[in-house]
Amino acid sequence: MNAAQLQPYLLTLVVFLPLLGAGLLLFLPREEAGQVRAWTLLAMGVDLALAAVAYLVFDPKGAEFQLEVRRAWSAEFGISYHLGVDGLSVSLVLLTGFLGPVVVLSSWKFIHDRVKEFHISLLLIQAAMMGTLVSLDLVLFYVFFEAMLIPMYLLIGVWGSERRREAAMKFFLYTLFGSLVMLVAILAVYFIGQPAGARSFDYGTIYNSLLSANRQLAACTQGVGCATLSPLALTLQAWGPLMFLAFALAFAIKVPMVPLHTWLPEAHVEAPVAGSIILAGVMLKMGTYGFWRFAIPLFPVAAYQFRPLFVALAVVGIVYGALMCLAQQDVKKLIAYSSVSHLGICMLGIFAFTAEAASGSAYQMLNHGVSSGALFCLFGFLYERRHTRRISDYGGVARVMPFFAASFLVVTFSSIAVPGTNGFVGEFLVLLGTFKASSLWLGYPVLATTTVILGASYMLWMVQRVFFGPIDRPENGGLRDLDLREGLTASAFMVLVLWMGLAPQPFLDRIAPATDRFVARAQLGTPDSAKVKDADVRVTVPPIEGAPPALPQPPVAAVALPR
Amino acid sequence: MPPIPNLTAADFLPLWPAVVLSLAGMVLLLSEVFLKATEREGESVRTYQAVFTVGAAVLAGGLALSLTFEPARAVFLAFAVLDPFSSFITAVACLGLALTALLSDGFLRQRQAERGEFYALLLFATAGMSLLALSNELIMLFVSLEVMSISTYALAAYLRRGPRPTEAGFKYFILGAFSSALFLYGAALLYSASGTTHLAGLASELGRIFADPSSDRRLVVYCGMALVAAGLAFKVAAVPFHMWAPDVYEGAPTPVTALMSVGVKAASFAALVRVFLAIGRHVEPQVPVLLFSTLAILTMVLGNLLALPQRNVKRMLAYSSISHAGYLLVGVTALFVPQARAGLPGVTVLAAGTRADQADALRAILFYLLTYTVTAVGAFGVVGALERREDETRGFGWDVDRFSGLAQRRPGWAVAMAAFMLSLGGIPPLAGFMGKLLVFRAAVDSGLLMLVVVGVLTSAVGAYYYLRVVVYMFMRPPPEQATLAPHQWGTEVALAVTAAAVVLLGVAPGLVTRWLGPAGHLFGQ
Repeated sequence: MNAAQLQPYLLTLVVFLPLLGAGLLLFLPREEAGQVRAWTLLAMGVDLALAAVAYLVFDPKGAEFQLEVRRAWSAEFGISYHLGVDGLSVSLVLLTGFLGPVVVLSSWKFIHDRVKEFHISLLLIQAAMMGTLVSLDLVLFYVFFEAMLIPMYLLIGVWGSERRREAAMKFFLYTLFGSLVMLVAILAVYFIGQPAGARSFDYGTIYNSLLSANRQLAACTQGVGCATLSPLALTLQAWGPLMFLAFALAFAIKVPMVPLHTWLPEAHVEAPVAGSIILAGVMLKMGTYGFWRFAIPLFPVAAYQFRPLFVALAVVGIVYGALMCLAQQDVKKLIAYSSVSHLGICMLGIFAFTAEAASGSAYQMLNHGVSSGALFCLFGFLYERRHTRRISDYGGVARVMPFFAASFLVVTFSSIAVPGTNGFVGEFLVLLGTFKASSLWLGYPVLATTTVILGASYMLWMVQRVFFGPIDRPENGGLRDLDLREGLTASAFMVLVLWMGLAPQPFLDRIAPATDRFVARAQLGTPDSAKVKDADVRVTVPPIEGAPPALPQPPVAAVALPR
Repeated sequence: MPPIPNLTAADFLPLWPAVVLSLAGMVLLLSEVFLKATEREGESVRTYQAVFTVGAAVLAGGLALSLTFEPARAVFLAFAVLDPFSSFITAVACLGLALTALLSDGFLRQRQAERGEFYALLLFATAGMSLLALSNELIMLFVSLEVMSISTYALAAYLRRGPRPTEAGFKYFILGAFSSALFLYGAALLYSASGTTHLAGLASELGRIFADPSSDRRLVVYCGMALVAAGLAFKVAAVPFHMWAPDVYEGAPTPVTALMSVGVKAASFAALVRVFLAIGRHVEPQVPVLLFSTLAILTMVLGNLLALPQRNVKRMLAYSSISHAGYLLVGVTALFVPQARAGLPGVTVLAAGTRADQADALRAILFYLLTYTVTAVGAFGVVGALERREDETRGFGWDVDRFSGLAQRRPGWAVAMAAFMLSLGGIPPLAGFMGKLLVFRAAVDSGLLMLVVVGVLTSAVGAYYYLRVVVYMFMRPPPEQATLAPHQWGTEVALAVTAAAVVLLGVAPGLVTRWLGPAGHLFGQ
């Protein structure tokens, strides 16, 4: 069997390898914490290697979805096991893979209680996140999207700090509510687009079936052809906005967009380090990814209608998040609110509907994964030593932990988008693209640009209070610098920050075709829809391999009755 | 004297599961006589009864599954039918019986209440369920309903010593008898309107009545239909006919509660579907839709809201069982949406309410019943394993506190219970999610979007009280002096099987759904 024959199995392996690892852990004795950690690290490492292979195999000039596999899962009900990656999702898969071993390393000494269960949860989350990113069937996507919740809920609720139960419950109910509303929309979009008996939950099939109706509807918003709308277009006209909002609600809670963000600071503060890294690093991106993959392409007209609302919310999030950061006394809460601000930039980039902004937004998703993951991870190292999150309990840490301070500063620079770090590329592209989006009010990008100043203020102020100045507390005097394990983890982040900042092109090349397609699909709902060619947006759907024959329909028999 | 009908061996084919179950019950009753007094008190001797029951259930279930390959046909002069739907219901009931018997062994031994009649009653009840699923005539339906119900009345009061079982048995009996009377009265009215008790004949007669605009028998039909619906709604515990369920579920021995919430529910739903597919198609089309969607909404909303404040896990599961009847009723409603009226309100109809969609709704109901069976039996199994005898009279034997720190004390049970709770809450990738998805999908296919919205929102409410159990198990320290019952092989096997099934049905529903194809059509419908 050569490499090409193995390709269809690659994504399946990426998704299910962590699950295999979790199965393996079940058979380890619970006292052997070291073995548990080592095996988890190994599983995560192999998963990272597989993700890297997928990333390298992905051909930016090739088809939209690559490494595809589509098999019958529950064919009678129109559900197929359909995996595939485009440029954005393969990049996010790589990011998720990268954070896997980091998470294990970062909690190597932090977790002493129920080590085995902790690592099983980590592996389960990893599998669910990978699955969410590569699913091309709506039900499969939903299953993975929801499956992330349970282990994350346990992670916060079992291994979190004082108020963990409330935070876990809030996190769970918030996200569950959003996704349940999305489930209705999934069922509705599945129902309206296709004829009875031949319906399918496949993303591409649904997209293609809605395509011409979306076109008609976009033309109708320009006043062309409203009298001759097809039945499907009429349906979309009436229900499209509601379905879009249902999808958007689920994803906006996940992002989170203001005013649905209130679960995030609590969850971050109470979660253990590993939970925070996963949450900020990958899980929040599921929201932006959902907008990118599902909400906007499936309902471009509705998305265009609601664009002012989402752009405004994104800008409010950017500014509000940054202002909240300035007021925080708690380092983890500060990083959490900075996530609100940074993901506002991602959302702004997505809703600008220009190529620069979209690619900037995609890049910003990766950056935020790296930089906020790194911030939580590094602060976790400090927290392990001092067990306090209050900024005022620190001061002068740089004197006793120089290497740690240096790495924290590099990551801070990435977070505040200093040129030369990865953050700069993403933020710059988003702001540039938003300025170029002719149909948006100029005030939005202007307001969004304040993030550059505000971000620098809150982050640097926090760094100054924690790391510099005199050591006025004796506990801080005896802190030891990072050991080898911690140093390696920190270095990995630093390398990535600089690499992605100095040589962004290889990364952007992977994202570019996905960006073009996304922008074309989004443009379909705008007044420029006529310029979008069908060939640019249509999704190629592979046939289902090994599908069982259709169900037998027994004839309806008449009953002979004694009367 | 009427001529003796000419029955062939083929007529008896669908009865085999019920025959096996009844024979097994009689053998158990007889074998009781031959036990010596000392053996009757002994520890190990009694296990054979549980094993025997499990064996009989497996045999009957296997027979039922093999019957699903038989072509659908009417038997016993159309008093009964042999169709895949009824065979699947029998198989589900047998599955519930086998799991219940496994749970009962340890449960009864701890209470020194092992007697042969317990298992015999379980077997007779299941035989009644099997007969109920294949009845195609109102009298036969009623008799089967009573066979099932009377056995469960006795089972509910089986542990005679405390006040609660007595209350449960008495309440169940009085209200059950009342509902049977309602059903019987409704059947009589339907007979008076149509002149027949055969469902197929009833259907064609109703078709004639409603085709004739001047017919004066419509009111009688509607009264009969409402009474039959009320009688069956009692059995499936749909709001507002649910009042008995929490008290009876709480007071009955926990394994019996498990069987009541799954087997009785499955068989009653089968009867409901069969009766109403015969009569509901021929009355004015909006009537059954209105009837069942009202029942569904009330049941989903109230079932979930009433479960919210319950700290008593057994009672919470009782309300949860009510709410699940609501989700099933969503699927039932989807069966009655006429083709012409389907479609989301305000939406141009593309294609909905076709026969294929109705077949999907039936398959979805069956799949849901299966997922609910494994999940609920598992959940009641854990509850039963955790309760202790001295607590029962005081009434807080099932407080959620008993689950505190279970993850440390019995990790296996805690993980299994978490799977059951999340599955009941409809969280993927567990079985309950797939069941809900398929039912909701069938409902959306029929254009019942509002019902689905209510269903989805109430599931969000449900997640809260299911999660509370998970919180107690995983996130609270174990109590100081917690004593747990010793391991019982039956309980362990039952929990392992149900937990595995809950995961497997959620991850690979295709394993089951591909066999459900022919069950999408009731015979003669």
